[in-house]
Amino acid sequence: MDVLERQWMNMKWQKSATHLNEDYRLSMFSIPSIQDQQFQGLVESDQGIVELVAQAKKPDPVMENGRNNFCRAENSLNYASCVYWNGSEFEMNYAIPTTASCPPEVAVANKVKEVALPEKLGSAARRESFKKRKSYKARELKVVAEEQNREKKAKGRVEEEDSKITKQNSNSKRTTTTSNNNKETSADNSKGNSKLSEIPKPDYIHVRARRGQATDSHSLAERVRREKISERMKYLQGLVPGCNKITGKAGMLDEIINYVQSLQRQIEFLSMKLAAINPSLAFDIENFMVEEMFLASTSSIPTAGVSFDVINPSHIQFNSLQQGVSCYGLETDVNPPDIMLRRTISSPVLMPEILLESSYLNASISTFSSSGFTEAGNVELEK
Amino acid sequence: MKARTGYSTSLKQEFLKKWIKGIRIYSNFKKDMNILERKKAIKLSADLAIASTRNASTRWSRTLTANISKNETNKLFVEQIFSDSEVIKKEAPSRLMARSNRIASKKIWRRSHITQIKARKMGPYAVKASSIAKKLVKNRTKVLKSLVPGGENMDGISLIKETLDYIVSLRVQVDVMRRLASAAENSTRLGLSSKCSVHWLQGIFTVLDHWCAMVH
Repeated sequence: MDVLERQWMNMKWQKSATHLNEDYRLSMFSIPSIQDQQFQGLVESDQGIVELVAQAKKPDPVMENGRNNFCRAENSLNYASCVYWNGSEFEMNYAIPTTASCPPEVAVANKVKEVALPEKLGSAARRESFKKRKSYKARELKVVAEEQNREKKAKGRVEEEDSKITKQNSNSKRTTTTSNNNKETSADNSKGNSKLSEIPKPDYIHVRARRGQATDSHSLAERVRREKISERMKYLQGLVPGCNKITGKAGMLDEIINYVQSLQRQIEFLSMKLAAINPSLAFDIENFMVEEMFLASTSSIPTAGVSFDVINPSHIQFNSLQQGVSCYGLETDVNPPDIMLRRTISSPVLMPEILLESSYLNASISTFSSSGFTEAGNVELEK
Repeated sequence: MKARTGYSTSLKQEFLKKWIKGIRIYSNFKKDMNILERKKAIKLSADLAIASTRNASTRWSRTLTANISKNETNKLFVEQIFSDSEVIKKEAPSRLMARSNRIASKKIWRRSHITQIKARKMGPYAVKASSIAKKLVKNRTKVLKSLVPGGENMDGISLIKETLDYIVSLRVQVDVMRRLASAAENSTRLGLSSKCSVHWLQGIFTVLDHWCAMVH
């Protein structure tokens, strides 16, 4: 039964492997439920996952060596799923291929399987089969199947990463360390026997030490943590516009901080603008805007050295506001203190001071490409 | 593409509904607000609405709601809004304390242990460089923690996760607000809002009607 279904899965996977990529995307995007869409929405915006999927297509030549590729796309059972493949030296010969194009029976079968999956994975991790392998980059993501809950997309996507295992690519001897310090260091070169021990294991993160690196559990755990962080940073890179060229945590964090700050300020400004909708109340605006600028600034902006020109309420121009909003979104690197010192306010003033830094946008435009920003907005437009 | 916009759209619609509901309730509380109060009402309802779309599953949404509820006047408002939906409860403070203690002690251990190992492995200059880099990262993480609501006691990994979610929600908020504002501008230009009454809320609702008409 085991062998049979494994072989069936194998065949099925190979059949679908060729069109895995587009199936993946199609299947990802044809499901109406909210949880799935949350996931999909995020997934699609993330180039990383698409690349990973593309890489998953490669391991055909190594299938004979017993590599297992677990592929699962989201099914209609509202599972937050992800591509799941194993490019390592595990011997398990069954794959769980599903795309949404699979018939529901397969989906049901997969549901059954995924319960058994964690335990099998755990036991497989302890089986060693070391043989020569081409070195290619492959990652292993674990399917996290959440049952009918409101698992949100970021969380769902990130939980994949929680159990990500990094595989090494060299052929040297390796040590397996489980996070419960269950060390097995025998190099077993068995090829054909893929006997699964049926001992159910808890969901540990199995890590292998790379060649030439320390193998004590602390540094391994550290490495796992670091890789988790870097993986999530990659997602953030997809989310924050203009982060593609920046490498390194510090720069990325900088961009993220700027982005979050600019979004928050935009919200402040927009809510002010909306509060001013009624034109008959426009004349109040003059007084209140002055106060507002002093009170509502989100950061500790020194208010010395500020000079206001006369604010003319009859020139409330929502047009310029609109432009200003989109311009403001582009501003990144201007420091608030500089803003304050260099501020001059011209007559069509309804906006907070920050908006008028459109003159400084030239420097910042390269970082936040305007097309990227508005494009992100446009893509989300309702048809 | 279709599903991506589908998800965003549904999220935006949910946000919009809750937001408008919040504004309505708020304006029933207080009539005749000046512009500052209106702005506060708008922002408050928006924050509550976007936090509630997460159904208290993320840390930032819980903290945001809790912070809003701290203010007594807002508390009634919050309770009214959420009378028909889930209850937001804050994490027990004791758990937070324990957690931050654990994190702190872990960090201390890690710092001491790692510097030892590194000093043995690498030369002294390399250690210095990496520690500078770490300091940079640390400072920025601190700033990020201050930005994201509820980020204080989180470690790096969950902080990034929360930031992801928070960024998405902020974007939804900005997008909806911006479109509403542009619809307002259009209707002002076309003179359509002239028939709205003095009550400022009417203005928004007129605009909303026009917007919905435009969209559908």
